[in-house]
Amino acid sequence: MTETTKNSTTPESPGTLAGIVARFETPETLITASRAVRDAGFRRWDAHSPMPVHGLDEAMGIRLTILPFIVLVAGLTGGAVGLLMQWYTNAVDYPQIISGKPLFSLPANIPVVFELVVLFSALTTFAGALLLSGLPQWFHGLFANRAFHRVTSDAFFISIDARDAKFHENEVRRLLESQGAVSIDSYYDPIKERQIPTLIYWAVAILVVLAPIPVLLIAWAREVPSSRPRLTLFMDMDVQPKYKAQNESPLFVDNREERPQVPGSVPRGRLDNDTKFVYGKEGDNWVRTFPESVPVNLETMQRGRERFTIYCAPCHGQSGDGDGLVSARASQRMEANWVPPVQLYATAVRFQPVGQLFGTISNGVRKMPAYGSQIPPADRWAIVLYLQALQRSQSGTVDDLPEEVRKKIAAH
Amino acid sequence: MSTLTLPLDDNTTNDPKHRAPLIAGDQSLETLTDVVSGIVEQPVVPRSWYVAFAVSSALAAMFFALIGYLIFTGVGVWGNNSPVFWAWDIVNFVFWVGIGHAGTLISAILLLFRQKWRTSINRFAEAMTIFAVICAGVYPGVHIGRVWFAYWLAPYPNHMTLWPNFRSPLLWDVFAVSTYFTVSLVFWYLGMIPDLATLRDRTQSPLRRALYGLFSVGWRGSARQWHRVERGSLILASLATGLVLSVHSVVSFDFAVSQVPGWHTTIFPPYFVAGAIFSGFAMVVTLMVPARAYFGLKDLITVRHLDNMNKIILATSCMVGYAYGVEVFIAWYSGVHYERFAFLNRAFGPYAPYYWTMVTCNVIVPHLFWFRKWRTTPALMVIVAVLVNVGMWMERFVIIGISLTRGHLPSSWRMYAPTWVDIGMFIGSFGLFMTLFLLFCRFLPMVAMAEVKTVLVHEESHAAQH
Amino acid sequence: MQKPKENAGLSDEATTAINPRAAGPFALAGAALLGGGFVLGLLQRDHLAYFLHSYLVSVCFVASLCLGALFFVAVLHATRAGWGIVLRRIAEFLSVNIATVAVLFLPVLVAVIMRNHWLYEWLDAERMREGSKHYSELLAIKRPYFQVFFYVARSVGYFVIWWALARFFFTRSLKQDESGDPNLTLQMERWSGPSLLLFAVSLTFAAFDWLMSLTPEWYSTIFGLYFFAGCVVSGLSSIVLSAVMLQATGRLKSVITPEHYHDMGKLLLGFVIFWGYMGFSQYMLIWYGNIPEETVWYQARQTNGWALISLALLFGHLLIPFFGLLSREVKRRRHLLAFWAVWLLVFHWIDLYWVVMPSLEQKRPQFGLLDVAVALGILSLYLAGLALVAGGKSLVARKDPRLGESLAFENY
Repeated sequence: MTETTKNSTTPESPGTLAGIVARFETPETLITASRAVRDAGFRRWDAHSPMPVHGLDEAMGIRLTILPFIVLVAGLTGGAVGLLMQWYTNAVDYPQIISGKPLFSLPANIPVVFELVVLFSALTTFAGALLLSGLPQWFHGLFANRAFHRVTSDAFFISIDARDAKFHENEVRRLLESQGAVSIDSYYDPIKERQIPTLIYWAVAILVVLAPIPVLLIAWAREVPSSRPRLTLFMDMDVQPKYKAQNESPLFVDNREERPQVPGSVPRGRLDNDTKFVYGKEGDNWVRTFPESVPVNLETMQRGRERFTIYCAPCHGQSGDGDGLVSARASQRMEANWVPPVQLYATAVRFQPVGQLFGTISNGVRKMPAYGSQIPPADRWAIVLYLQALQRSQSGTVDDLPEEVRKKIAAH
Repeated sequence: MSTLTLPLDDNTTNDPKHRAPLIAGDQSLETLTDVVSGIVEQPVVPRSWYVAFAVSSALAAMFFALIGYLIFTGVGVWGNNSPVFWAWDIVNFVFWVGIGHAGTLISAILLLFRQKWRTSINRFAEAMTIFAVICAGVYPGVHIGRVWFAYWLAPYPNHMTLWPNFRSPLLWDVFAVSTYFTVSLVFWYLGMIPDLATLRDRTQSPLRRALYGLFSVGWRGSARQWHRVERGSLILASLATGLVLSVHSVVSFDFAVSQVPGWHTTIFPPYFVAGAIFSGFAMVVTLMVPARAYFGLKDLITVRHLDNMNKIILATSCMVGYAYGVEVFIAWYSGVHYERFAFLNRAFGPYAPYYWTMVTCNVIVPHLFWFRKWRTTPALMVIVAVLVNVGMWMERFVIIGISLTRGHLPSSWRMYAPTWVDIGMFIGSFGLFMTLFLLFCRFLPMVAMAEVKTVLVHEESHAAQH
Repeated sequence: MQKPKENAGLSDEATTAINPRAAGPFALAGAALLGGGFVLGLLQRDHLAYFLHSYLVSVCFVASLCLGALFFVAVLHATRAGWGIVLRRIAEFLSVNIATVAVLFLPVLVAVIMRNHWLYEWLDAERMREGSKHYSELLAIKRPYFQVFFYVARSVGYFVIWWALARFFFTRSLKQDESGDPNLTLQMERWSGPSLLLFAVSLTFAAFDWLMSLTPEWYSTIFGLYFFAGCVVSGLSSIVLSAVMLQATGRLKSVITPEHYHDMGKLLLGFVIFWGYMGFSQYMLIWYGNIPEETVWYQARQTNGWALISLALLFGHLLIPFFGLLSREVKRRRHLLAFWAVWLLVFHWIDLYWVVMPSLEQKRPQFGLLDVAVALGILSLYLAGLALVAGGKSLVARKDPRLGESLAFENY
């Protein structure tokens, strides 16, 4: 046994001594030997086995790992992230009432919180178990030792690192021998160049070079304008078997898909014999009074308020301040092309003829789109009527108030 | 192929004074390593493997071709239509996720319960989990219609300033299934590192050494490494146990949070979990019986292992039967007409054959496992296991499909029939599963060698003391 | 693992039996407390409604201890477990004591036979009589199930089943103390499976009959499992507590080790989580489904001061013990584990209180002297029964073939 021990140090001794490794026959001898090495006061050493050996931790004096505590922290973090994410996204940033549930519904948030606790903990456990045991470490002196390869099959080893303060080659050998080591070897620091096979080296290199190409292609396609129609991989309802404006069809003599109105016909309810009512104009001038067919009364005004709330308030705001939800969100997002809507009681608007207000609703102005196709003329007039009341309400004085109310204010 | 043809000890006997050995034959650390590594290292791969691989990869190709057809044409190629918007696709999703659960149960829950017999089969079952979850994940993925927008499910700040709706059980599903896949993969891999190192140390081919070396991250079997990896596995096991319960519970929430009669019932979460484990174990037995014979692993995966698995099948069958019974009783007890009708419709409606197949396969047939002969004879147990898988698929169709065909409103009742694409994709998903599985058998250690070694050493020292 | 030796590590004084005469003081105290409770109940002038409800809480509480213990015994046999043999006799004592619980349950049966509908609403004939202003169609549908005779027969049936199962294991276990016959173990293992089936069905319907039918229109398929979870938590807690108390009197000192406590702690933690899982599943699905006939049960438990108790359960029965039992150290120290056992028993009682009491007419929680007197009275009578059952018998299954394995058991 001593014979082989001496010989095995020499053959390919390719560098600085990294340590001594000794093989043992059984788990039991490994444990007793470990106890001896521990008692001899070594610190940088390890026992190796093909499977976890019960009792070895205790014999080597390995303390319980702190992994569980790290995992606990990671788990709590995962839970907090899950809860905050759901609270912020669904209750704060994008509040939508869905199936009658409160915006922040704890029971409905539990599953995702739970999953994130598990996910964070599990990934931390995985990373922690490897990193805390010094892995990955692809290069190690022990790998160059052929005999050591049996450690993953059926052999048991103790390795003592040369950097240990107590390391003296001969003493270490004597110690291990006295513990019944079957063979004792030296091992050396690894020579790194040999380790990566060229095939893998090149494969990785080529992949690294090629990897950015798809990303660059996407970026290029997004940024560079093109006059060609875009490539349609999936139909995605882009092409549908139906007639559209500006398209051609061989079915008709003039090849137009869009059919013009038959000359002399009038669509139902579109007979525009009353230009004042339909266009708000007499000749080229805006009318200054409501058409006869529009009754100026409370009923019309209430109708106008209702339509105003539906069509106008989203941008102009309930009181015409120009602070509607759409506008508010656009300014919040600092949309570059957004033109804030005018205040409807601004002087420029207030003294416009009613016909002009009607015209603006019908045809739009500046960024404001035309509403003529959506709101029937009678309703447009009703809105104009309500608008006038709204404008008036913004420029009221104390004198406009009824007698008693004025008295009440004075009393205060 | 194995060089060991030792006589198989009957280790299924139960003498309370002695624990029967878990490993048969006269095994040593060395022979054990040889047997398992030998499968991966055999210089000439048998032709039968190539045949099997060709068949399954052809089916897998059909699966992807049909997915392509579905994507380019639209979800209308399936039989799904009002009111049955969830049909075979979701049935198959639940079916595959359920199959996956056995792997996690074996590797996690049995680890917590210190069931040492798990060591021989956990690698195999975990691999099955991962492949089954891949098959499962495909279905809801393509079901969403515009697959290329699947990333909208993820909560990321986008130009539409929208966020996903976290109050929807479908989003919980996304989190649950993706977490399940990730954690199963990590758990599987962590346990496999020592065995990959074994292959690294044994192989002669530089390419294999480099690849196994890369993935075994420099494992040296050191006690400090074992200590942390063992602790880590234990923690992962506890996490995975909670996870496995949560995943199928969340899957059951997809149905149970709604008000559809037959879906909305509080027992669904534990009932789905029990059903998942039931079907998963049946699948493990179905695959394990031929695999252990083909790869010569009869000494490591002994009849006792199969016996134990069959007992779990029996136990979970009873749980599933319990849930069926309680559901029917409470449907009557609730006095709600819709609930009562839903269950009458299942048993006596147009889809009654599905229901009675389910009951027969899931509740009646597994009781054969009360008999030792059925639990310990491979040919017989495979029959039961296959029937259980049929029954569990039927169960998902009974729950999902039948409940939808006849809901609250009789005017919108409609029958459902699958199209050839539905059927083709179902068969194709088995192809994908088997393809992955055959690759696993060919390139990775099928049995957790290091863990079986602990059992072996334990039993040796036990025997030495006699 | 060591070869099982006859009585390995069992000295006689270590397993000194309990003196059955200890039953006397417990019985007297119990009778006095219960009598006091009854008088307080009479003074309330509510047709004994409060007293009966409180009585039901406590009698279900002691029943659940027996059932949890019975489950433990049957599962040890079904899984051929070796580790828990040293604790099994304690569990057998607890489970056989179901006989005492059966006697304690008689007052509930008397109340049902006397048609005291202040306890069970469905006993009120008016509720099922068509045309009555208290008529409920949902109750009328269940008339075949809600019959006095049927209820009594079922309840008696449950007790017969449980007593028979507990006796089955107990007598064979005692017989083995004499003969050491391993065939008895085989026999118990063989029948453990079917007995668990019987146990599951009877426990589920007991939960439906005794507890769920307090709100007769309400239904939940998971309710049986919810009660089962509570049973196992309290059963395991009582086993731990009994073991600690026996060790405090100098018994079983060297028999039950931190290793056994560690495992019991793990099971306890597991079933605390299981209880939470059942409770959450039930709550979540009913909350989300939001159907009136289901939410009514939680409505009663979220209003009128009950919300506080609901939250107390969430924290006291799940979150706090979860974190409390997480640490390995806690599980290995018997006094800390005993603290959590007591804690969980208290919260299990509160759980049952929370299930039962809101069905009373007066809605607010009115915890008072009556509840304490009844709970302690029933507990004392239960302990008196336990002393009679356990008196003079060995505290360990001393000739179990796997006893050696259990004594030498180590967690790793």
